[in-house]
Amino acid sequence: MDWEPLIVSYLFGFVLLNVLLLAMAYMTWLERRLVAFFQDRIGPNRTGPFGLLQPIADAVKLISKEDIVPANADRLVFLVAPLLSFVLAPLGALVVPFGDAVTVFGRQVNLYVIDINVAALYFLAVGSMGVYGIILGGYASGNRYSLLGALRSTAQVISYELVLGLSLVGIFILTGSLSLVDILRVQQRTLVLGGLELPNWFLLSQPLAFVLFLIAAVAETNRAPFDLPEAETELIAGYFTEYSGFRFSFYFLAEYINMIVVSLIAATLFLGGIDGPFVDGVWWLAVKAFIFLFFYVWLRATLPRFRYDQLMGLAWKVLLPLALINIGVTGLVRLWGIGAL
Amino acid sequence: MAIEVLIFYLLAGVAIAAAAGVVLARNPVHSAVSLVLSFVNVAAIYVMLRAEFLAVAQVIVYTGAIIVLVLFVLMLVQQQDLPEFHGGRPLRRAVGFLLGLVLLAEVAAAILTRSLRGAPGSWPPEAVAAVGGNIQAIGRELYSVYMLPIQATALLLLAATVGALFLARPELIEERLAVARRLFTISLAHPRGVDPLQPVAELPGPHDNERKPAGGDRVLVMARNAEEFTEQPAWGEIRR
Amino acid sequence: MSELTTAHFLFLSAALFIIGMVGVLTRRNVLIIFMCVELMLNAVNVSFIGFAWEQNALTGQIFALFVIAVAAAEAVIGLGIVMALSRRLDTVDIDEVRQLRE
Repeated sequence: MDWEPLIVSYLFGFVLLNVLLLAMAYMTWLERRLVAFFQDRIGPNRTGPFGLLQPIADAVKLISKEDIVPANADRLVFLVAPLLSFVLAPLGALVVPFGDAVTVFGRQVNLYVIDINVAALYFLAVGSMGVYGIILGGYASGNRYSLLGALRSTAQVISYELVLGLSLVGIFILTGSLSLVDILRVQQRTLVLGGLELPNWFLLSQPLAFVLFLIAAVAETNRAPFDLPEAETELIAGYFTEYSGFRFSFYFLAEYINMIVVSLIAATLFLGGIDGPFVDGVWWLAVKAFIFLFFYVWLRATLPRFRYDQLMGLAWKVLLPLALINIGVTGLVRLWGIGAL
Repeated sequence: MAIEVLIFYLLAGVAIAAAAGVVLARNPVHSAVSLVLSFVNVAAIYVMLRAEFLAVAQVIVYTGAIIVLVLFVLMLVQQQDLPEFHGGRPLRRAVGFLLGLVLLAEVAAAILTRSLRGAPGSWPPEAVAAVGGNIQAIGRELYSVYMLPIQATALLLLAATVGALFLARPELIEERLAVARRLFTISLAHPRGVDPLQPVAELPGPHDNERKPAGGDRVLVMARNAEEFTEQPAWGEIRR
Repeated sequence: MSELTTAHFLFLSAALFIIGMVGVLTRRNVLIIFMCVELMLNAVNVSFIGFAWEQNALTGQIFALFVIAVAAAEAVIGLGIVMALSRRLDTVDIDEVRQLRE
């Protein structure tokens, strides 16, 4: 058996995980600063220059706090649930291509961990597993509010997952592949419309799918305005009401890592990933992912929370039919071979 | 011993142990978690068998949808006085295990003495790679040879959806309103904030602390102190 | 055995199926019986895919796909029935559900 590609993949995955954790730490700082500016406040600026050491201080604080298990809890499940959430969060990033192959020490190194045939479905599968951390945590807390948060989250994630998956089908029809590397290659071509030369990004050929994906992704990561599972004004903090110390921080980490992974996937699927003007490279991916992350924060600072029935109605009565129409139209376009798509 | 065989034994061992956990666990939620573990391990074995698409479909459909729905229903339905596996009905349990052992012996004999081999199929790994991979190969086969079955499956799923909607409705309209709102629906959030059909008297007054929640009564009760909270477990047994 | 053979996968399938069957025979909670039925369906899928791997065919995989689709439909109806049952009879113990018998 040839071990070398396996070891290289593991090393790359290790580096990727660390970069994700670092990015997550500074995402919390960025969010607090940005929301502060949106609300005409200053935000954390005391720890280090511009408050840049704030995430480290937070981490130390969370780790050194007491780890409380409620008397009414289902102990084993209560202890495992946050770990489950945290372990599943970064797995989606493993299929994101970060660039073309480079040569390091005379070896060909691919800038992705794995290129699997079913990469996009793999991302959806990992996302669908993520709900277990929430539902088990909510159940095991032995608290009514936690259970309500978990039930809400289950219904919400199942509904929006459907939209998330169906919004990608248009892309699969156009590329004939589910591998993110292949999808990226298709987007690196040039689209000629009339006299214009545009990049062949799926944002341009699948705008409806892009909007649907964006909405569903925000709901899938349980972020505002779809943060009903936590809804601090009605459910205290929903499924993690009873969590404290580092177990709480695992949920926190998972939420932010999920945001970053979804942003990376969205940038790769719809905005051409590493493709960009001048020189292609991982920096373009970073810029695009940052746009999505900024969008997340912007939404949180701007929009009030949805009412629960509105949330479910939106998924089943608006987004799902739109996604199906998009699939039908894309299929017909592909069948009749219209345009250069 | 080849590395694949070791990996297989690891995955299969965990899958079987987790499956046994489904049957043996006292708490149905623990059963569901075991089942998830078993399904994920079986999905990994599908990857070993060059069935990547099915591995992902397994995770999305079974663990991502079906078991999540089972957990959802588990948390919605009554959990007090759960039928105990470890108490009562020893005869049936013994017969069950015995039947299992007999079947295991039979199947083992059948597997070990198997001499019939089907004709080799038309999709060796090279052919699958030539069309782009497992998922492309399945797509080609599914939408040419199995066109009619897949349409029938689509109809089946549609019928199941309609059936589920029908089952979820109580029979009479008055009952529908009363039962759905009062007895068994945990109101995840009411559209108008106040439910006009729900009598206010449902909530226990200051003097009926002793009142045990009746059969299907699932009102949310605000606890006034810590003891009262633990006296009225929300769902599941109390642990001390 | 130093190499993977179809027998490995068939034994795994048989073990999972029998565990599921014992569960259906011995447990009384409807939801656990339901989970055990899913386990049995899944065991059959392992067999299908094992045979497809042995024969270099896709038929087994496609059959497994249909089984998954049918399992999804069954889950929807089964859980709907469990909800209706618990709403009506206030129990998920199948030994107490004998309306059809009496």
